[in-house]
Amino acid sequence: MHSFSFRANALLTFSLTILALMCAMASLTDNFNSPSPTATVQILNVNRFQKKASGDDEVGVSLDISADLQSLFMWNTKQVFVFLAAEYSTPKNSLNQVSLWDGIIPAKEDAKFSIKTKNKYRFIDQGSNLRGRDFNLTLHWHVMPKTGKMFADKLVLPGFRLPESYR
Amino acid sequence: MKSRGFFLTNAYILSPSTFTESAWLISNRILIRIGEFEICVEDIHFGNMDWQGQKVAEQLMQIMLVVFAIAAFITGYILGSFELMIYVYAGGVVLTILTTIPNWPFFNRHPLKWLDPSEAEKHPKPQVTSSVSKKKTSKK
Repeated sequence: MHSFSFRANALLTFSLTILALMCAMASLTDNFNSPSPTATVQILNVNRFQKKASGDDEVGVSLDISADLQSLFMWNTKQVFVFLAAEYSTPKNSLNQVSLWDGIIPAKEDAKFSIKTKNKYRFIDQGSNLRGRDFNLTLHWHVMPKTGKMFADKLVLPGFRLPESYR
Repeated sequence: MKSRGFFLTNAYILSPSTFTESAWLISNRILIRIGEFEICVEDIHFGNMDWQGQKVAEQLMQIMLVVFAIAAFITGYILGSFELMIYVYAGGVVLTILTTIPNWPFFNRHPLKWLDPSEAEKHPKPQVTSSVSKKKTSKK
């Protein structure tokens, strides 16, 4: 600690190291959270179910998504990214996951929501395997922190079925 | 409190050298006259730090930063606000900067007593060349 600049340098590096430790501890506290989110999804209508010129099936649906994700928010949470995926298996692929809708929830107050929407992204199969297909609608979420580790989890809602014939 | 009838400042700042302790002379004498009141501040002199003061400054800096970090984390965790934690910690860092970086006088309680330069002249350095030649002649 010989001179002004020596002390200033020591203080700056020490304070930044301590700040890094504080952020690591804040991230560790995210493990103490045991969230209990709930969600329900209804398919209001299958608007479109066609086989495209390329030979792939395409589905257009209207969805009613309502969820309560407020318990996911902690003091170290910046936002929650949530998306709804249709999951099914075909003879060609053992697992298909097609994202139908997503959204960003910036604050805890917005985490309890209920929306009616058409699918934001196109539901296109690899092939023509969707007639009469059973599928799950899985709600995935990524809890994005202000610092540290991101947690991802999902909620599986089974029991949906596509029509037997094209419309 | 001295009373003078005019506004006198004699303020200048020396830049510190990198190899010695910094000496900051902020003001020699400042006299401020506002209406009837006069404030005279003499000799705000930031001197050097002595060895004891350097140790105290370093320890004070480390302790203050750690204490403020712990207080900031607890406050942020209990009140559930990450921003509050950062603000409390930033305030603590600023306070630590103001306390430990300038050469406050209380860091100079045991000033070093250097020898007077006249003493060095009384003891001149011994001549090196004569002793080397003496060694060579003795080996022969």
